[in-house]
Amino acid sequence: MSAEAARQLEHEIKEPHGLSGRIRWLRDYYFEGVGRDWNNEFSCWTTGTPWDVVYDETTYYIVPETYAFFQTFCSSTRQAARPVRLHPDFWSWSLVERRAWFIREVMVEYVPHEILPGDLLAGARFNILASRCWTKREARQRERRVGGRRGTRAATKWFHEHGYGNAGATSGHLVPDHIRALRIGWKGIYDDLASRHDALSARERRGAKGEQLRAMMTAATMPRDVAAKYAARCRALVETEPDPDRCDELVQMARSLDRVPWLPAETFWEAMQALWLNHMLIMSDENYPGPGVSFGRVDQYLLPYWERLGADGADPAFGKEILGCFWVHANTAYDAMIRVGGNQGITSGFGQLVTLSGMGPGGKDMTNDLTYAILEVIDAMSPILEPKPSVRLHRGSPEALLDRVTDMIADSQGAPFLLNFDERSMAGLLREAREARCEHLINEENVYDYAPVGCLENTMVGNDRSGTVDCNLNLLKAVELALTNGRDLAPAVDPITGNEAPIRQDGADTGDPRRFTTWPEFWDAYVAQTRSIVGRCVALYERTEALRAELSPTPYLSCLVRGCAERALDITRGGPELSFTTIEAVTFATTVDSLLAIKYLVFDARTATMGELIRALEDNWEGHDTLQAWAKYRAPKYGRDDDAADAMAARVMAAWTAETWRHRTVSTQRQFRPGMLSWNYWVADSHVLAASADGRPKGKFLSNALCPSNGTDINGPTANANSAGKALGGTAPPGLGDWGEYVNLLPNGASHTISFSPSMIRDRAHREKFKAFLRGYCHNGGTALQVNVLDAEILKDAQRHPENYRHLLVRVTGYNAYFTCIGRELQDELIARESHSQL
Amino acid sequence: MRGKTSVSRGQALAPAPEPRAPGPAATVLNLQRMSTEDGPGLRTTVFLKGCSLACAWCHNPEAMASRPQLVWYGSRCIGTRACITSCGEDALRLEGEEVVIDHRRCTACGDCVDRCASGALETLGIRWQLDALVAEVAKDRSYFAAYGGGVTVSGGEPALHAPFVEPFLRRCRTLGLHTAIDTCGMCSAAALERLTAACDLVLYDLKEIDGEAHAHFTGSSNERILANLRELAGRMRGGSRPSELWIRTPLVPGATLAERNLRGIGAFIAEHVGDVVTRWELCAFNNLAVDKYERLGMVWDHAATPLLTDRELACATEIARGSGVDPSIVFATGSTRAAAPSAASVDVQRGRSNGSAH
Repeated sequence: MSAEAARQLEHEIKEPHGLSGRIRWLRDYYFEGVGRDWNNEFSCWTTGTPWDVVYDETTYYIVPETYAFFQTFCSSTRQAARPVRLHPDFWSWSLVERRAWFIREVMVEYVPHEILPGDLLAGARFNILASRCWTKREARQRERRVGGRRGTRAATKWFHEHGYGNAGATSGHLVPDHIRALRIGWKGIYDDLASRHDALSARERRGAKGEQLRAMMTAATMPRDVAAKYAARCRALVETEPDPDRCDELVQMARSLDRVPWLPAETFWEAMQALWLNHMLIMSDENYPGPGVSFGRVDQYLLPYWERLGADGADPAFGKEILGCFWVHANTAYDAMIRVGGNQGITSGFGQLVTLSGMGPGGKDMTNDLTYAILEVIDAMSPILEPKPSVRLHRGSPEALLDRVTDMIADSQGAPFLLNFDERSMAGLLREAREARCEHLINEENVYDYAPVGCLENTMVGNDRSGTVDCNLNLLKAVELALTNGRDLAPAVDPITGNEAPIRQDGADTGDPRRFTTWPEFWDAYVAQTRSIVGRCVALYERTEALRAELSPTPYLSCLVRGCAERALDITRGGPELSFTTIEAVTFATTVDSLLAIKYLVFDARTATMGELIRALEDNWEGHDTLQAWAKYRAPKYGRDDDAADAMAARVMAAWTAETWRHRTVSTQRQFRPGMLSWNYWVADSHVLAASADGRPKGKFLSNALCPSNGTDINGPTANANSAGKALGGTAPPGLGDWGEYVNLLPNGASHTISFSPSMIRDRAHREKFKAFLRGYCHNGGTALQVNVLDAEILKDAQRHPENYRHLLVRVTGYNAYFTCIGRELQDELIARESHSQL
Repeated sequence: MRGKTSVSRGQALAPAPEPRAPGPAATVLNLQRMSTEDGPGLRTTVFLKGCSLACAWCHNPEAMASRPQLVWYGSRCIGTRACITSCGEDALRLEGEEVVIDHRRCTACGDCVDRCASGALETLGIRWQLDALVAEVAKDRSYFAAYGGGVTVSGGEPALHAPFVEPFLRRCRTLGLHTAIDTCGMCSAAALERLTAACDLVLYDLKEIDGEAHAHFTGSSNERILANLRELAGRMRGGSRPSELWIRTPLVPGATLAERNLRGIGAFIAEHVGDVVTRWELCAFNNLAVDKYERLGMVWDHAATPLLTDRELACATEIARGSGVDPSIVFATGSTRAAAPSAASVDVQRGRSNGSAH
């Protein structure tokens, strides 16, 4: 496409609009990226001991791209770390008390407290990498378990390089109890902790419970003291501020900060100020920017403050300016690694999710004025990445909301938000309650208060850590092992050295499939191998879970999650009332399609023998074009609303989820639960996993989360959505569903992306039809949907002229990304997905 | 270029063998799910094979003949030659890398399709049993429920399959689905009455008001079409089904896109059926059928006909609105040349067939 044609397209690329001068400036300033004088880059802090560690690699085990850099990160962050003057008694305290004190000391006394020009919210620098505060003995013990031939690092690399996926105890990914923190303030939280501490016996006080509660009390004073620093900063700025209006704002901010977040918030401005500080300090506490630290149903719990805005005579437009500032603040999480990579450290959405609308008690719709006000702010600000909104839809969602949602999708090349579907989501959570025997905590009376975290991972709110990104398992590995009697099809390769690993009996001994005469024999082998890979994943996860429980407490976050204070147990030790960890299955459709192909080629149509098929896979399909074509084009596929094929999908789903429910962590007693997220693993691991029986050669992308394999959903979006719903369990006769008639085997939910042509929403009449699709999806589809509105030509032009498409946002696997910033391969894949149904 | 046989319109109209399958069944060209262009809401459109007209501009040429037809997609072919050896009619030959189908010999028996590993050969026209088809269209009922969506039977000409379509429509209505037919009106009065009495909405094509021009472009005069429409309106006035009637007019440059024609159709609507018609759709010519004609070995007179410009479409709409009908019932649809590239691109949702044959 010519530059001229590209210019013609420009009006289609979403631009921010209607912003006040203040928000426009803050937003533009943010996007100056590395050019900014101010940023929120990681700063590193050390106790000064020679054995100190400030970078905890185990929290990045779920990011295989970083494996090669662990040593570098560990050394360079240690080298860059500035020493903190320790309290004289520091080394006499327990680890959790040391850590609470250290983080608090860094955030209050060391990190600068700055206010950006015109900003209405305080709380700027929060990205820190702080000493793990380990004693020499703890550090040595930890190094023994992490490093070396048998350490977690080697085990994690092995797991990944052999195509199983990845696993590691990771930060974030929960909705803290912001509601309580706003309502009673940190003073209330502190008083509660103190009374619990007082209630301990002398012996308990000397023990782990006393240590934990004292650490949490220290942490609970951090927001108060950070706020005081910012209040002082505001007052100092007043001295030199020439604009009297701005002076008034700064005085107001200082007065707010004198009160919140220590005392209960009273105004909307105070509530937003408190919410931001409370949230930002979680990222400081965990030393992890952003990922999945989510806000829950903001339009519900902030509504009373928002309504007071009108009652106080304040202008609602000012309320939206406060929200605009909040949005800019959330984006500064990306500054953590601003000088890494080509796009100011922004590679994908971090997933500080806000939830809007949704069902309330008795199926009532909870959409309100604040829902629409926040959607307006999102519309005005976008494209922007954080906080990421999720709009909850259900069968009672009002027309006005669907209209607004559809218009925003039409104007933004796809949704500037995720859609979450209540009925199916709640069905999954009620199933979870049954499986984990926690019906007293999740039941018909409160399940509607759930909220997704990160991208679309459904959890309960304020009392739930579900480790929603911690285990990522390639189901396809079980098909490979069933074909090979438990041995890798091809040797695993170390990507750094190029060394090939010896092939061993890693999986179960399920027999030589060449001797199988019936399909059920192969199916049984697949199920046995699934048991084997789930077991391996659970065992690997246990190692970092136990390490974290012993050595990496997060006492500040523990204050914000119900159950931790009550049990005097850190969140990292299983303190929350609801303590799950999630296996996110990757390669679902590739797995289903491979099983369908094996059944079709070897047992039904008898196009090939099992031996011939295995040989073709060993040869990566090279020289087997005809058989590959049969596998790709003639074997049945999931995603076409073909009941027989989708029944296979449902069987695969039932088999792996049943295996998952069988496990708990040993160290922390967290129940494993199933979900499907896939993040970018379906792209990266395609180069690790061997060729598959669905006709896919090694290196070609795997399937993404719950989505059908690329290009196979030839019957359009409704068929695609129906297949997804059936794979999750579909509907049951009255009385037999998990919630109403809905069944959902994945309490975590599943990522599902469908691309639509812009013509689908080109005018009012078509938008009505698109709304019909959303209403139908509510009943037939999955738990979450990302809508891409993309045109293959637009994307191809964006590849040729990235400079014209800086702001082109696309949604991939539950996260937003700038199209021009993602790899060429993924770009090509998106284009293929967009154009596959054009003949 | 492979050799092309120019199929005369008369040939396309040649009577096809009647289906011999037990129970009601019909030859279905395509099931278009999530269709947005064949009536209100989201719809599943059933395209049946066989048409009683042979419009020069037809963009569904594969729907003209009643019999199943074989097509070959070059981009899918991996050259196994299994098709050539499997053909018992000697209807396939290889020319360079192209598989050439002798459509006079080919009986569309499907043997080669069964042997094709890559799906490069496809039989257009699959027999569907009534029960199975009802079950298939009902899969999307959740999407129909809101905003008046449902099932549309199109073609080809659905009235040619009245013994199948009538019970199909009734079965769909029993399930609570909104039903529509898209007809060109060129059929027996009895067949049309049978279908219209069984559905909620009729999309009725009026392409050309002048009888001679109609015969020139479509192979038949429009007398029966106009008479059938008047009778249909009469039945509706008497309170019979359908409850709604839409008129559709394709706007084809060099053919139907003429002020005379639009004014004439408008005047006819106003005079004879204006009281029962709730929508008159002007459907801009679309040129996406070029490949289809090539695959069927047919020559298309309109291969080089351009899309309408925005101006032409707006102008046609104005003329229609001033033709004596209630101006609020006139709507224009389809892609135009000067529109944004996205609107002019192939609609991803629409897959293989692009609307009904006008």
